[in-house]
Formats: sequence, C-alpha cells, structure tokens
Amino acid sequence: MSDDARQTHAAPAPSGENGAPGGHGPRGPGWVPTWPATVGLVVTLVASVGFAVSFIRDASTQWLGGFLAAALLGIGLALAYWGRDLAGDEVISGPYPVPHEDAEGRAALGDALDQSVQVITRRHFLTKMLVFAGGVFVLSQVVLLGALGPRPKNSLRTTSWRAGSRLVTFDGVPVTRDTLAAGTFLVAFPEGHLDSADSQITLLRIGADPHFKTLAGRESWSPEGYVAYSRVCTHAGCPVAQYEDQAKVLVCPCHQSTFDLMNGAQPVAGPAGRPLPQLPLAIDAQGNLTAQSDFTVPVGPGFWDEG
Amino acid sequence: MSEHRLKTSLGRAFGAAPTPARRAARWLDRNLGGSSILREELRHIFPDSWAFFLGEIALYCFIVLVATGIFLALFFHASQAVVIYHGSYHPLSGVPMSDAYSSVLDLSWNVRAGLLIRQVHHWAALVFVAALIIHLMRMFFTGAYRRPRRINWLIGLSLLLLVGFNGLMGYSLPDDLLSGTGLRIAFSITESIPFIGPTMATVLFGGDFPTTGIIARIYPVHIFLLPAAIAGLLGAHLGLLWLQRHTEFPGPGRDDRTMVGSPMVPQYALRTTGYFLLLAGVITAFGAWLQINPVWLYGPFRATDATTSAQPDWYMGWLEGAVRMFPGWDIQIGGFLLPAIFWPAVVLPGLIFTPLFLWPWLDSLALRDNRFVNVLQYPSQRPGRMAVGAGFFTFLTVLLVGGGDDVFASAFGWSLPVLLRALQILVIVLPPLVAALTYAIARRRSERWLVS
Ligand code: HEM
Ligand code: FES
Repeated sequence: MSDDARQTHAAPAPSGENGAPGGHGPRGPGWVPTWPATVGLVVTLVASVGFAVSFIRDASTQWLGGFLAAALLGIGLALAYWGRDLAGDEVISGPYPVPHEDAEGRAALGDALDQSVQVITRRHFLTKMLVFAGGVFVLSQVVLLGALGPRPKNSLRTTSWRAGSRLVTFDGVPVTRDTLAAGTFLVAFPEGHLDSADSQITLLRIGADPHFKTLAGRESWSPEGYVAYSRVCTHAGCPVAQYEDQAKVLVCPCHQSTFDLMNGAQPVAGPAGRPLPQLPLAIDAQGNLTAQSDFTVPVGPGFWDEG
Repeated sequence: MSEHRLKTSLGRAFGAAPTPARRAARWLDRNLGGSSILREELRHIFPDSWAFFLGEIALYCFIVLVATGIFLALFFHASQAVVIYHGSYHPLSGVPMSDAYSSVLDLSWNVRAGLLIRQVHHWAALVFVAALIIHLMRMFFTGAYRRPRRINWLIGLSLLLLVGFNGLMGYSLPDDLLSGTGLRIAFSITESIPFIGPTMATVLFGGDFPTTGIIARIYPVHIFLLPAAIAGLLGAHLGLLWLQRHTEFPGPGRDDRTMVGSPMVPQYALRTTGYFLLLAGVITAFGAWLQINPVWLYGPFRATDATTSAQPDWYMGWLEGAVRMFPGWDIQIGGFLLPAIFWPAVVLPGLIFTPLFLWPWLDSLALRDNRFVNVLQYPSQRPGRMAVGAGFFTFLTVLLVGGGDDVFASAFGWSLPVLLRALQILVIVLPPLVAALTYAIARRRSERWLVS
C-alpha cells in the first residue's frame, strides 16, 4: 500500500495547550478536558506505592489486589482516554489487499513447483522408496506411546475382593454381624486394601424388610439381611455417596444417578444405565462379614470390551 | 561514511535535529533494515468499532495467564508423593495429602501475593473463554468468516478448543477433591470409546484410575505444550489479520476495496494499550475480591471421598449438562458394551464442532457465493444465518443450565427429576422454536432494510 493511496479525512490538529490529551485547542470543536487522564495517572502513582507497601506489610489479598487493580485501571484509563481523544484526530482510508490478483505470479509459481516435483519424481523407484520408508519410519514412532502406560489387561475387570476377604471400615475395623442395626449403612473395604478405589462398597443392613427383592441367583448373597453394592458409579465412576433413607436409594453426587437398593441397585433416575454390581457376602465362624468372591461383573463405568 | 558526515547528511535530508526517535530509526535501519516497510506499517489502518475489542480481550487474557502462570509455576509441585500438611491452614493440619495439593495450599496461604496471583490466573481463564465465545459469535453473525478469512475462522475455533482444554488441565492440577473427580470422569469418558477406549485411557493416565503420575503428566501439557500451541496459533491468527486487515462495518467511503479507520501509531496503539491495562485491572479486581476455587475447602483428592454438587468451570458446563441429561442407554452389542456416556461426551462435541469448523464452506455452498469480501453484514441482513445461530446457542444454553440442574433445583426448591425431564424436552424443542422466531423477526427487519 503506498502513501498516495491514502487520504486523510481530517488533518491532525495541533496539539493541545497543556500537552497530553486534548488535541483540539482549549475550546475548539471536539475539545476534551485533560483532567480524567491526569486523575488516572495520579491513581496509578498512589496505588503503586500502596501495592508495594501492602506487600511489604503482608496485607490481605483484598488490599494487595485492590491496589494492583487500581494501579492498572488508572493508567489504563488514562491511555484509553488519551487514545480515544486522538482517535477523532485523523481518519485515514486505504485499499484492502486483494488476494489472487497476481494471475501471472500464480502461474509461474505453479510451473516452478510442478517442475521441481518432476525433477524429483523422475527417479520412480527412489520416489516410491522414499514414500515407503518415510511412512514406515513415521509409523514406527507410534510404539513410543507404549512408554506412557500399560494396556488395561485385567485391571478394569477385577477388584481387590477375594473369596474370604473380610470387610473392614474406613478405619480398618472388621465388620461383624452385630455392627449394623437394620436400616443403617456404612462404607467398607476388603481387609488390607483400605482406600482401594475400585473395591469400595456400600454395606447396608436391610433386616427383614419385605420390600427387599432378592434377585434370582443371588439368594445366598445377603446373609442376615446384609447387602453390599459397589460404591463406584456405573455412569462415570464417582463414589455413590448419598444414601436416602426414606426412598432407600443411593444417589451419586456427580450427575445424580439414583440406584434402588431394594431392587438390585437398578438405576431409577439420572444418566446411569446399569445397576451397581452386588458383592456376594458371607458370615464366617467368628461372625465377621466376608466376601464369597470378587464381584461377578466389572465395577464402575462401562468400557468397550466389558460386555 | 564517517559518523559525522552521516549525521549531517541525515540532518540535511530530514531538515531536523537528531531526536531520540530519529536516532532509534537510524539504529533500526542500520541493524535490521526495512525502514520504509516499518514506516508503512505504522499507518496500518484500524477501523473504529467496539466489536473489534472482543478478540483483543482474549489476547490480553492470554498475556495475563502467561504472566501469572509463570509465578505459579515457581511454587507449584507437580508430584503426588504423600506429605503430611503442617502449613498455616489449620483445619487441614496433620492431614496426609499429595505434594501438589499441599503446594497449592502454601501458594494460597503462605506465599505472599500467592492467593491473589492464583485467583487472577483462574479468573483470566474464565474471562478468556468467554471472550473467545463472544468473539466467535460476532464473527458468525456479521459474516466475518467469509472469504478471504475462512482460514482464520478455523484457527480461531482451534484456539477455543485448545484454551478450553488447557483450562481443564489447569484446574486438574491442584489435586483437590473437585479436580480429582474431574479427572475421574475424564478417564471414564475415554474408556467409553469403542475399540480403543480402554487402552487409550490406561495409556494416557499411566494405568487404571487413580494413578500416581497423572499430575506430573498433565503439568508440562498445561504450562508448556498447550500454551506454546496457543501462542503459535495466536501468532498465525494475528499474522493473517495483519495481512488481510480488519473487516469493517458498512459506512460512508467503505467498500470491499477501501477501508477507513485510525492509523495504528499513535492513535490505535495508545488506545489498545489502555484497554489491555484496563482489562488486566478488572481481572485483578476479580482476583482480589471474588473468591475462586477455594481448594482448601474441598480437601485433598481421595478416590473414596465424595464431592457434594461438583461443578466444573463454566465453559465445561454444556458438556456437564449433556452428560447429566442424556438417558442411560448402555447398549450391549454381542460381547461388547457401548456406554451411554459415549454419546453426550464424545459424539456430541463432534457434532457441535464439526459443522462449526465447516461453516464458512457450508455458507458459501448454500448461497453459491464465493466472493471475497471485507465489509461486514448486519445480523438481520441474513435471517437464515441468524436463525441457525440463535438455535445453536439456545441449544448450548439449555445444556449449560443442565450442568447446574442440582444447584437450580435446590435453589428454587424444584424437584430434580422433574427439572431434568423438563430440560430434556426443552433441549429438543426450544432451539427450533427460537430459530423460527428469530427468522420471522429478522425477516421483517431485513425487509424494512431493503425498502429504506
Ligand atoms: C491458555 C492458557 C491457560 C489457561 C486457560 C490456564 C488455566 C488454569 C486454571 C483454570 C488453573 C487452576 C487454578 C486454580 O488453582 O484455581 C491453572 C493452574 C495453573 N496454571 Fe494455568 N492456564 C493457562 C496457562 C498457563 C501457563 C502459560 C502457565 C505457566 C507458565 C500456567 C501455570 C499454571 C500452574 C503452575 C497452575 C497450578 C497452580 C494452581 O492451581 O494454583 N498456566 N491454570
Ligand atoms: S458418575 Fe455417578 S452419576 Fe455420573
């Protein structure tokens, strides 16, 4: 773009009497007072000192940040105001660059590239080898991804529960047949695996509640009215932590999936699609609650080869 | 040529004394050359409109993020080694936690100005994404994406994706209960992808969730990889803008070949520097007075602790809403399982962003109009586009509301299942309704336009 192509619609005005903003003389058209910019800069001056002092005196975040904000706002206001004042000074216009106007250049470029390609691909065999070797090289680098982590193997399918694992509470205290009264619940783990994310269960004592439905094949899983469900949400894996006593449901705090404890922990509301897996329980000779085995299906959110 | 003779000849050529500016110009020319090009560029034309400030807000947020991020990086420990906390926040005294979480507690309670910088960093991220989205809406509704700016539309959208993703990485770093829950859900979403999902999840996370190396893994992504990509794309975005120049709204003396505005130096440069400082000031004020992400209240992440009403940062709200609202349709196919979360969390984002990326081409195909343009359109000039846009953003807004459905339900005393069902209906019914209404209104306005 050349200078001749531009036109200045309004000539730059002589600069104002008092220096800084105000480029139109004291009372001319478009005259703007200079004091707001001055005030802004004074604010910056004071606030900068305030910032340093409050840092040294270890003042609160509110003071420190307040001063810093004021310092930035003051000078920002001054510049924006000043620039706005100047904006009216000069309006210029000019041409937009026009793409694809250069048909000749484009043709020449195309020819040149075409020639280069021909020079290179004249060696047919070499060209093919280049593409082949280059491709294999790039693909070979994919193995580096393997350094990032293991393939899933069985970790998504199994938990730390084994036949005979004793149930313990958060504090590691074994759960016995007398731990819970009917209608109450607690969170339990396999002994030796406290805090194991995928093994956490909700243990509930139903007692002899007539509304409780024992599912086919699970007749022996709930001795003396104890039932245990995985506490890992089948939606996206959050701990299903809220127990609603009245409705006898568990609610997940993440997306509010709701599981019916009276009916195999089937999802009754929210986005989960599968029930919470049930852990088969037993009571050993000492009266401790134990697992009959690991869960019979994978716990937690679904994955492709789970089915 | 001797120094002295050069000076006098320069002085003669410009008929002026060697001021500091003139000396600087001389230094530049002798060391770098290109004086006449620079001279030209000082007069680069910037059209005067508030609408062009939206993209600048985004740029300035990035600057604030890098500046505050460097400060944070000096104190943050990307390690999940277990430590016992003994810092100034007494309620957590003696609690075992990761080194990462403990270092964020120290940043917030023991490092001077640490909490301020942390909160400014977080607020800048929230404002960044908001600015990008409003900027995108401006581009969309005024037709700024048309040729020759289609490539810049692609770059802008990529920026939105990268920035949102980097925000997600950022708030996963402190290893508090909320961020751990977010990572948990991210793992589950990855796992849900057919065929490659489970392997992808364990490879990316370094094992089955929860792993002990994930913070160390996302740290370089958050502070280096993505910021570098964002800086590169920003450079390309602004470079193209510089070459093609801003669009302009219709007005006297303006057409597709001629633009009108202020010269960059001094008018525009002064103003935009002022705007940058104003924005930095406003975000700093947010950081000073509006608490954000008080991680000490959430406690350290433990896979067995549950959050209460967990909420992601606002720009993830639409995804959260989709995940909450989509029904639990887990599909068994032969020996395989397609989990329900795959649809809202993987397919839906694809369905949202693919047409957005293709929009400039779809638009020119639909109108059979491929001219290159520089003058913008007013939104109602194109009733069809306005309807599509209004429907689209209505859809996203309903999803966003869905992301906080539990909060709304308890705040207004509504039943959550009823609200959820209402939202599930609204998300399907409302967008076409809003689109139709918008079309009718825009149509009438554009007819009036044509008459006058
Ligand atoms: C696109 C740019 C960026 C976005 C959107 C972003 C966003 C975020 C967010 C939302 C957090 C959580 C803050 C919190 O604890 O409440 C965070 C943390 C952090 N960011 Fe960034 N960030 C960006 C760039 C950077 C850069 C360039 C650096 C370093 C050079 C950085 C360093 C950090 C560090 C060290 C933390 C962890 C400390 C903490 O959580 O308090 N960030 N980021
Ligand atoms: S993780 Fe439980 S409802 Fe989503």
